[in-house]
Amino acid sequence: MKRVSTLLFFVLALALSVNANSNKEASAKDVVEVNIFQFKVEIAAELDAAARLYESTHPGVKIVIETVGGGDDYGAALRAKNASGNMADIYNIGGPQDVKDWMTMLEDLSDQPWVSSAMDGILSGVTVDNKIYGLPFNMEGYGFAYNKRIFKDAGIDASKIVDFKSLEAAAAALDQKIKSGALADKYPLLEAVFEYAAKETWVTGLHTSNLALSPELGNVIAAADAKTIDFKYADGLKKLLDLQAKYSSSADKPSLLNAVDYSTQVDTGLAIERVAIIQQGNWIYGGVSAVDKEVADNLGFLPMPIVGAKEDSIAVGVPMHWSINSKAEAADKAAAKDFLNWLYTSEAGKDIVVNKFFFIPPLKGYDAYPVKDALGQSIMAFAAQGKTVPWVFMGYPTDWGMSTLGVKIQAYYAGELTWDKVVAESKTEWELSRK
Amino acid sequence: MKKSKLSFGLFVAPSLIAFFIVVIIPTISGVLMSFTNWNGIDNNPEFVGLSNYVKVFTLDMVKTNFLTVEFEMPRFVNVFLFTAQFAVVSVLLINFFGFSLALLVTRGLKGSNLLRSIFFIPNLIGGLILGFLWQFIFTKVFNNIGNVLGIEFLKGWLSTTSTGFWGLVILLSWQMSGYMMIIYIAAIQNIPTSLFEAADLDGANFFQKMKNIIMPLVAQAFTVGLFLTLSNSFKLFDQNLALTNGGPYLSTQMLALNIYRTAFMQQDFGQGQAKAVLFLIAVAAITLTQMSISKKKEVEY
Repeated sequence: MKRVSTLLFFVLALALSVNANSNKEASAKDVVEVNIFQFKVEIAAELDAAARLYESTHPGVKIVIETVGGGDDYGAALRAKNASGNMADIYNIGGPQDVKDWMTMLEDLSDQPWVSSAMDGILSGVTVDNKIYGLPFNMEGYGFAYNKRIFKDAGIDASKIVDFKSLEAAAAALDQKIKSGALADKYPLLEAVFEYAAKETWVTGLHTSNLALSPELGNVIAAADAKTIDFKYADGLKKLLDLQAKYSSSADKPSLLNAVDYSTQVDTGLAIERVAIIQQGNWIYGGVSAVDKEVADNLGFLPMPIVGAKEDSIAVGVPMHWSINSKAEAADKAAAKDFLNWLYTSEAGKDIVVNKFFFIPPLKGYDAYPVKDALGQSIMAFAAQGKTVPWVFMGYPTDWGMSTLGVKIQAYYAGELTWDKVVAESKTEWELSRK
Repeated sequence: MKKSKLSFGLFVAPSLIAFFIVVIIPTISGVLMSFTNWNGIDNNPEFVGLSNYVKVFTLDMVKTNFLTVEFEMPRFVNVFLFTAQFAVVSVLLINFFGFSLALLVTRGLKGSNLLRSIFFIPNLIGGLILGFLWQFIFTKVFNNIGNVLGIEFLKGWLSTTSTGFWGLVILLSWQMSGYMMIIYIAAIQNIPTSLFEAADLDGANFFQKMKNIIMPLVAQAFTVGLFLTLSNSFKLFDQNLALTNGGPYLSTQMLALNIYRTAFMQQDFGQGQAKAVLFLIAVAAITLTQMSISKKKEVEY
């Protein structure tokens, strides 16, 4: 009997201590705690510093930030977090598909001060029935990022590249110079014109394909509603894929491109001057600059031409949005809204967004904070001339871009599928998932 | 008597409750979830009957070359066949290497203890890290050696289905052989030395000792070893994700990765769960069959 009573004593003690803990929590509730669950690893440290700064001027608010990186990993982690009953107050959503999925948990942000200063059309991906559900992180753009120094030394005028024909001619001329050894003294590592990360299906299936589908679908909302696609510019897409294979270091065996990943393309490709052009966006600036600042400062964008469509443009869009959990407590929601507003519209916040996060601001009123990095400036130049196409890949059926089209492009490079089949099968899959 | 029953109950209860909470209840709710259309967010999914199971076998058909004949089959079956091939090859290799290493370090050589630690170390590294380490070796180191020596075979590893397959086999063998070695060492050391002395007196050579003493008496360890390697090969996830992530063109995707992608990337949790239920049944059936077969081979002298 003694043993039993000892056991009972322990159980009781345990229960009491749990109770005591929860009492303590309740009394600490006059501090509002805002939980942020965000996906951009690159800004994790700076965002944390921004939160501390905000706390110092806003007593009574505590901001806790959790970061989980990478596109699809974040979506999975967010679902897991929600299922665990520990949902954050501020979280990130992509485009219309995410808005549809998370609709029951999205706070209407239409009355927020930043809404009036948003760039034209930039909120379209998170607007449903005239209500706005997200604050854009930033604007990002991608195209053919190229090394200006190599182009100059090869005697190629990048400003003349305005369509597919001129791009192809420039690539051929540069290829000839590399193979003849004319550039070997100055760029000993230079071995090819392009490097293309076909292993990363977001590079192929989302980004490259966007250039071909954007002119057909028009915008991301139309893409999210489209029951079928014609793939009108499939030939133009094939030309881009073939070009990037033909003048790459895997020209003899395109299947090798399937092993090329992001870091091979950027860190041990463009950054060390092993190749002259890669298809990537302004987010590579930090990574390239960490390897070689001088290379990073001499980068710019060339257009990604789809024959028959807009041939002089790069693709610009919003990668992610901040949104607020509508099921959170009222005090938390208010503090969360105020923090986002402070981050994007106060002077201190603007400085952080542009100079610490290296973002291209999605809002107006940033005239005092010009974008400083070479790739960001290049995007601003394209945008100023209207030479951009919108991102529509956020409106593709869930996982179609990466696991259907991206995977089939790998099979095309490996010689397992003909291009006609890639196109036909991808169209069918689109139709099936939109039934 | 009554008192001891009560304390028996009280002492068993904690682990029983824990077992129910973390194993039995999730299994049941998982099976139930496979009959719904849950998307991972909404807490009120609809009941959709068997349609998730129908989807597994009717959607996403792929053409595959299996034993030189071209078939069209559901991707899940294709993935199952790939996983099964992988499991057969890696079970054989891991146990072969594990057993050989165990024989090597139980022969009383100098430095045996050091060797044991060295062989065991890979097992202490997490699967994800190993995957990225070997990815570097296969794609960078192999490539550079291939370039320098002009060996075409070493170039472009992981960019084809077969190099992806063998890459995974090499990775898992390297990782698990050390663990199997420990199991076989324990079994070999448990064999009474009197048997070896008797064999020596009879003038038995190494192979006779192997066939008549070591193999039969280690059979019990083989049961365990085969079970662990077989179930681990079928359930492989981290290494698959880190090394190839299913590439190229999803041809090196294994069962666990396929289930993960269905649930978390296509965001079809119902279908993913249906696949997981089928996976559970298949792995249970295969490993139980293996257990009952190899149990019959065990002997005691």
